Amino acid sequence: MQLTWKTIAPVPTSQEFLDIVLSRTQRRLPTQIRAGFKISRIRAFYLRKVKFTEQTFSEKLGAILESFPRLADIHPFHSALMNTLYDADHFRIALGQLSTAKHLIEQIARDYVRLIKYAQSLFQCKQLKRAALGRMATITKRLKGSLEYLEQVRQHLGRLPSIDPNTRTLLICGYPNVGKSSFLKSVTRADVDVQPYAFTTKSLYVGHFDYKYLRFQAIDTPGILDHPLEEMNTIEMQSITAIAHLRSVVLYFVDLSEQCGYTIEAQVQLFHSIKPLFANKIVFLVVNKIDAMRPEDLDPARQELLGTITKSGEVEMLKLSCHTEEGVMDVRNQACERLLASRVEQKLKNVMSSAAGKEVTDILNRIHVSRPIGEGLQPFIPDAVLNRKRYDKEDPQRRKLERDIEAEEGGAGVYNVNLKKNYLLENPDWKMDKIPEIYDGKNVYDFIDPDIEQKLAELEAEEEQLQESGFYDEPEDIEDEEEAEIRTKADYIREQQALIRNAARSRKSTKNRAVIPRSAGQGKKLSDMETHLDKLGLDSSNIVARARSISRGRAAARAAKDTDAMDLDEGSGAKNKMTPIERAKSRARSINRREDGIADESNRTKAEKLAKLQQKRMNRMARQGESDRHVSASLPKHLFSGKRGMGKTHRR
Amino acid sequence: MPQNEYIERWTKQHGRRLDHEERKRKRIAREGHKASKNAQKLHGLRAKLYAKKRHAEKIQMKKTIRQHEQRNVKTDGPSEPSSNPLPAYLLDRTQPNTAKALSSQIKQKRAEKAAKFSVPLPKVRGIAEEEMFKVVKTGKKTAKKGWKRVVTKPTFVGADFTRRPVKYERFIRPMGLRYKKANVTHPELGVTVQLPILAVKKNPQSPMYTQLGVLTKGTIIEVNVSELGMVTAGGKVVWGRWAQITNNCENDGCVNAVLLV
Repeated sequence: MQLTWKTIAPVPTSQEFLDIVLSRTQRRLPTQIRAGFKISRIRAFYLRKVKFTEQTFSEKLGAILESFPRLADIHPFHSALMNTLYDADHFRIALGQLSTAKHLIEQIARDYVRLIKYAQSLFQCKQLKRAALGRMATITKRLKGSLEYLEQVRQHLGRLPSIDPNTRTLLICGYPNVGKSSFLKSVTRADVDVQPYAFTTKSLYVGHFDYKYLRFQAIDTPGILDHPLEEMNTIEMQSITAIAHLRSVVLYFVDLSEQCGYTIEAQVQLFHSIKPLFANKIVFLVVNKIDAMRPEDLDPARQELLGTITKSGEVEMLKLSCHTEEGVMDVRNQACERLLASRVEQKLKNVMSSAAGKEVTDILNRIHVSRPIGEGLQPFIPDAVLNRKRYDKEDPQRRKLERDIEAEEGGAGVYNVNLKKNYLLENPDWKMDKIPEIYDGKNVYDFIDPDIEQKLAELEAEEEQLQESGFYDEPEDIEDEEEAEIRTKADYIREQQALIRNAARSRKSTKNRAVIPRSAGQGKKLSDMETHLDKLGLDSSNIVARARSISRGRAAARAAKDTDAMDLDEGSGAKNKMTPIERAKSRARSINRREDGIADESNRTKAEKLAKLQQKRMNRMARQGESDRHVSASLPKHLFSGKRGMGKTHRR
Repeated sequence: MPQNEYIERWTKQHGRRLDHEERKRKRIAREGHKASKNAQKLHGLRAKLYAKKRHAEKIQMKKTIRQHEQRNVKTDGPSEPSSNPLPAYLLDRTQPNTAKALSSQIKQKRAEKAAKFSVPLPKVRGIAEEEMFKVVKTGKKTAKKGWKRVVTKPTFVGADFTRRPVKYERFIRPMGLRYKKANVTHPELGVTVQLPILAVKKNPQSPMYTQLGVLTKGTIIEVNVSELGMVTAGGKVVWGRWAQITNNCENDGCVNAVLLV
């Protein structure tokens, strides 16, 4: 929960607010517009201005509304304190006015945006924008009072001490000038003004101190006079708020010397009148200034009067003098002790009464810790250990430790620990004997186990027995002829099935299309024919030559054969260069129109002559011929003009 | 931890810096120079804002100076008639005053006579039809028609009005430009109230605009003044009253009118 409100951004005055918003509009949006622009563009320009201004306004107002605490959401203590300091109604009204203004501005923007959509000219757009911004400005100007008030509240809020209502708290209260602030000053490091006149402290002050490694806060309150709540002013109401809302130890200060200017009777009377606020709180009556007057020195009538406070037994009397520092720490410690005790008790009670507490008790009920009856388990300690003499450094007859031996033999690094000396063997003389690796031709490690021979003998015997009983015998081959026949048949069936499956698959893949068998297209090879003819004794050279000339060989081979010209030094790239044939593969073969459709040379000359003759007259008259470049009309007039009698534009 | 009035406390404890008062005095003395510098240096929008602020300040300053001066100035005519009587030849001296008062009274009377038939805005700018109407060009069929018009000015449309079928509707009065209320000023009382419009009585531009209920500057409208609680000579509560529109509604987004009394 928030305890301080130091981070609220400053609230501008209405004039500043207006300047901020309007200059933002001016800076952030384009400013160039001409009457010659398209009207939709002009409208959009001004629409944007109005909308942007509205957004800025509502954003800024919203930020102010957000930053101030909502009285319902904060701790009752803070809310009551704010009520006494700033008047909750005033506060709410100020914030309410801001939110109304925000709402109104949004409404205006909506209205004028709508109107600008109907505007016919730049001038009209501009006037409408001007009117919209002007009305927004008027609304803002009306917020003058609330904004000023909120700024003041913000400044004051930022300077309030951060009082945590839930922590360990000592609350110091009493009549003015009884030494409350000086107690706070002597207990904590708070920088409080202490003056010899009443109402030096005009607001709540907080100091912190540690007791038993726990952080405590002490709150110094302004003095209270004894009159009804309605007549109390803001300063006194702050103390009342603190007393009423904070869970704390209340230290009620009295000044028996009456140096403060108030009688003991008045001070006791005040205690009784604000007593209802002390309900459920630990209260101490603290007698201050005992250097001037001790309670024992009072006359009996007044002592009795003082006794009325402590009579009920709930209120304990403590004595101190801030001047001589006598009893200050005692008072503090006693108060803290009581507070801690009560807080622990309270917490336990809370846990037990809450839902979580029920769970805790449920679990506690189910747990049972059993203990052995009588003496219970006793540890067993051997006598040797029990009787062993305790090691003592000073004792000259002390036990010798390994480290002593090490020190004697030359220290660490020189002395080598003898690990064999503690071996437990049958004969102590064997300790230092060396164990050979091979002995009598046998590996010693194989015989580490003393019973190894016996175990091996047992295993062998078991194995023999198993062999004898026929455990390892293979089952006899019992296959006969009948079974073999079945096996072959099964194999045959499997094969047939595979064939059928393959056939079906291939049929499926062709999708009932006629398949031209590979062999049909291929025919005989030329070489086959050649050998066959040779065999028959016929001359095959002519036929072969003709066949070769007709058939197309591989492009590269043919190119290599055909070229009589010199090799060009084109490097490795030459191969990749497209030969005419290869180009033909990628695009349609270009046809020489001059030769196309004409059988031979003579025909061609004939045709050329004819063409020239035809052209002769045209050329003579400089007429446009068919070979002249011609660009046809993009919109042929006869297709695009005139009435359409029938059909459509595209079908004529 | 600083809390509450720690700034004041600090000044109380340690005082201010030694030249505090002098600095303050100097700052005030410097203000005129600063203002002048600003007035010469600022550009653009800031200059405009500054000039406006300064203008207002100066007006205020002059007003106060005049007030102070007037306190010392003696007026020519004594406010009360002097106790000692004037000689006859001097009595004439006051005549110009009375004569002036008489002439102005007559003038006022004449004006009042004329005022019976006059309105606050006797002359208005003419509005061409092209400005008033926009030809509707949208849509396939509408584009062919060419007789459909949209009224581009704010209009008043009665509560019981229903649009004609699209085919026959010649004038479209857009919903966004319809107004129901006017800010009416009572010229004598000097108060402005927002009142509902009852009807458009006369549009000076053309009778057609009157029919269409177009609200332009100078249009006479009837407003519902029952809220004002005005009473006729007979003691009846006045319900409808005429008012003249004083602003260009299409530019301002509102209808301002002055009550005709």
